[in-house]
Amino acid sequence: MNMHPKLKVFSSLLFICFFLSYNPLWAQSDPTGERRVTGTYAIKNATITTAPGKTVSGATILIKNGLIEAVGTNVRIPNEAQVIDGDSLFIYPGFIDGASSAGVTKPTDPERPSNFDPSNPPDENAGITPWRNVLDHFDFKNNQISDWRKSGFTIAQVIPDGGMLPGKAAIVVLGGNSSTNILAQNTSLGAKFRGVGGGRGSYPGTQLGIMAKFRDLYKNAEYSAQHQRLFASNSGLNRPEVNKTLEAFYPVIDKRIPIMFEVSNDLEIRRALSLQKENGFRLVLVGVTEADMVVNEIKAANAQVLMSMKLPDDKITKAKMDDLSDEIKARTKRAQDAYENNLKQAGILEKAEIPFGFTSVGGKSSDLMKNLKMMVENGLSENGALAALTINPANILGISKFAGTIEKGKLANMVIFTGPMLSEDAQVRHVVADGYIFDYEIKTKKAANGNGNGENGTANIAGDWEYTSDTPAGSSGGIMTIKKEGESYKGTITYANPAGSGTATSEMNNISISGNYLTFTFDVAAGGMSLEVTVSGDINDNQFSGNMSLADFGSYPLNATKKPNQSTR
Amino acid sequence: MKKLKYILISFLMLAVLFAKAQTPKGSVLIKNATVLTITNGTLEETDVLVENGVIKSIGKNLTAANVQTIDAKGKYLMPGIIDAHSHVALDAVNEATAPITSEVRMADVVDPYDIGLYRALAGGVTISHAMHGSANAIGGQNITLKHRYGSGNPEDLFMKEAPRTIKFALGENPTRVHGRGNGNQPRSRMGVEAVIRNGFNEAIQYKKTWDTYNAALKQKGATPVPPKYDTRLQTLVDILDGKVIIHCHSYRADEIYALINTCRDFGITNIVFSHVNEGFKVAPELAAYTMGASVFADWWAYKFEVYYSTAYNAAILTENGVITSINSDSGELIRHLYHEAGKAQRYGQLDDEQTLALITINPAKQLGIADKVGSIEEGKQADLVIFEGHPLSVYAIPQMTFVDGVKYFDINEDDNDKRLRVSATDIIEPIFLKEHDHKCMHGVDFFFTNFGRNLFEHGH
Repeated sequence: MNMHPKLKVFSSLLFICFFLSYNPLWAQSDPTGERRVTGTYAIKNATITTAPGKTVSGATILIKNGLIEAVGTNVRIPNEAQVIDGDSLFIYPGFIDGASSAGVTKPTDPERPSNFDPSNPPDENAGITPWRNVLDHFDFKNNQISDWRKSGFTIAQVIPDGGMLPGKAAIVVLGGNSSTNILAQNTSLGAKFRGVGGGRGSYPGTQLGIMAKFRDLYKNAEYSAQHQRLFASNSGLNRPEVNKTLEAFYPVIDKRIPIMFEVSNDLEIRRALSLQKENGFRLVLVGVTEADMVVNEIKAANAQVLMSMKLPDDKITKAKMDDLSDEIKARTKRAQDAYENNLKQAGILEKAEIPFGFTSVGGKSSDLMKNLKMMVENGLSENGALAALTINPANILGISKFAGTIEKGKLANMVIFTGPMLSEDAQVRHVVADGYIFDYEIKTKKAANGNGNGENGTANIAGDWEYTSDTPAGSSGGIMTIKKEGESYKGTITYANPAGSGTATSEMNNISISGNYLTFTFDVAAGGMSLEVTVSGDINDNQFSGNMSLADFGSYPLNATKKPNQSTR
Repeated sequence: MKKLKYILISFLMLAVLFAKAQTPKGSVLIKNATVLTITNGTLEETDVLVENGVIKSIGKNLTAANVQTIDAKGKYLMPGIIDAHSHVALDAVNEATAPITSEVRMADVVDPYDIGLYRALAGGVTISHAMHGSANAIGGQNITLKHRYGSGNPEDLFMKEAPRTIKFALGENPTRVHGRGNGNQPRSRMGVEAVIRNGFNEAIQYKKTWDTYNAALKQKGATPVPPKYDTRLQTLVDILDGKVIIHCHSYRADEIYALINTCRDFGITNIVFSHVNEGFKVAPELAAYTMGASVFADWWAYKFEVYYSTAYNAAILTENGVITSINSDSGELIRHLYHEAGKAQRYGQLDDEQTLALITINPAKQLGIADKVGSIEEGKQADLVIFEGHPLSVYAIPQMTFVDGVKYFDINEDDNDKRLRVSATDIIEPIFLKEHDHKCMHGVDFFFTNFGRNLFEHGH
């Protein structure tokens, strides 16, 4: 991936004069060479889907300084524009992530005070930090941001991490590194049914306590607001006690911002809906996976929905049934039905006319298109899939004035594929975010021979690989040994022992190779828990280049070279 | 005209909403059964007609058009069994983090998919009292459930007519969790009493503060400042105002008598004691000042405070005029409460009616719902069980169980897999092997990882 700092000679002297006289920044030299020379781009003769269901072919799109200047079949391309040939490209509005944890770190828990009372802990020790701004715990340069951008996302609402009321969210554009990229902050209040008290024995420790604590906070925030109003307009009253927790609720009570409630199943959806019904706040359900049991309730409550883009692992549809007892056969069938029902949820929401968006929380960027296709195969319309990534989240986040579609005057955010978005071989070629163009390499299916790949175009991965990986903790590396056993692969990987010195070895699991795309996982024991690391990337000429991702901790580049002189067949 | 149309449409919509909010109600005619009415003796060869969820008539040669008829000749019909102390169908049991948690509500965490509900139905249990655990001196607000298994909506299980109830707990559990576990009050039985008394005294002050505020609001031109709102204290106020029935986990006679005195000091009469292993020592006091005792038939010695116990407890309490029930506190015992009641008869020679009352009308009284359920009477809700064999026989087998006239269990339609929800990834879902253990201290044992854990494995 690289940004477009390509030099282009201005053909118009007039334009240079214009910039010299009106934009002093441009008059300075740029020894870093990072600043782009033009903010004007034209993508010519492409197939442009401006909004779900609205596609024009042979169209041109003109981008100027971060905004869409023109789109259509009859666009005049100014001289200063850098022209990108879009002959075989398909352009869609940039995807919008309704709730994302990419680049967000969990603030460290504060020290417990010496007089700590677990039955009545200070708010901050109880996961009650609604005053927090996620941007104070957000790193735009985190690799997760570029991973999600690579899959087509151009805007994300980043949500804070923490306890039952972790803080306020912000909306960022996934643009260039020279900007803060903030579109809006304090855009919603986060809420969860998971606290910090449970494992540590402090209040509130369970959903029982969390529900009750939420109600009391909300009610007292209303009274506190009332007190402040009274105090402002009357004399002879006791002063209100300023409490930052309660004040953080004011914009929610005034319905200026919604509460983003993270839910993990239909019962939690009902719990969030009942809190909404009692208190009357605007509600966005985040991470919805089981909606079919509650569509009527969601509609009646006018709650908004961000579906999880994660789908359950398919461990079940290919189960061999022949040798099973009738009872196990019946159970297997039920599990298969349950699995299929999970795939249908997006389609069910669409049919119920609930305009849902997606959240990436808990999902993997590399699974996005695969999961989307599965949802479409199971009832979601193609337009519905695009809407869930564009106009729906734009409406839910209240940013449809400037995002969600490709229209003159909107932010220049788009994702450009090599084929129709949901087609088999479509790959992301460019992502335009905030007017910055990000290019991605296209993986071509290599010929069968002559490049170290095995038969049928599948790379031969058996052998010893030396790898290096760069993480914030420094560079490390080791050896991956892969052996072919029958139709599948087995292997081991060595790495610097996180629990001490020397190297540790783990089994490689789920090794899968398709074409030249290799993925596998391995478990690292660290600090008493087991962490799953997922590695994925491409093999070309005995070189592997890809990423390793550590669940919630981020994703880091991993490159490997196959050791020569080995008999690997 | 347009207005009229609008009004009509509104009415129609209301009707639709109303219909949707209703839980299913059934009609059925059960013929020729031996009807164990509980409150009106045993009626041989008798018919019971249920219409729209309610017992319409009891008699001979009843007929009804367009109603399913079940011939129960040679079988016994009794009211649905009621369990006054259960933790079935709950996602969480203990908010074990504070000595008083009267603000939490079990209604918030009901799991209608729990297979335990179906197992209870298969044991003839139609109502259970889903309680908070016993970690706190004053626990959470409980919820009375009707076992309308099949709905995904927890509210469909709520018995909305039932009065509010709350869990209290005395003795070793609260002192262990908060005293020894967290270094807080209460550390002894004296501390438990102090926590409860302080709670009520604070509640009295809280009520006064709000009364003053509300009175000031009514003054013309007044701008009073709202006090802090506190559901915890408001719930205690509601107890003092007689709106909530206390169900108190207890074992020893001294702590039971102490709480009776506390309640008398605060004018509280709505209290039921649970477990009550030493209840037989204070039976006259329980009869005079409380709504009764809910006991185990023969379960004791799982910890120090439960050594002084007897299987004659239920009989002694009954003969002393205490409203007595037998509860399960367990997803396993709840499947055969009729056996548990039978044990009380075996040891105390109670008659059949007294014994069956232990699992029907008496727990109904303790839950404040005896005017609606707990016996077979015209006008009561049609929660019924058909038994093969007398329910107090060791050979008794429940055949069909009805809630509101709707059949939720039929031994002839009892397929292998009655789960409402299944995992999308695993054929064999994790089974909690200790599920049958008593769940009063569910979720609490992590407090005791450092010492004597085995000592606490049992924890009602």
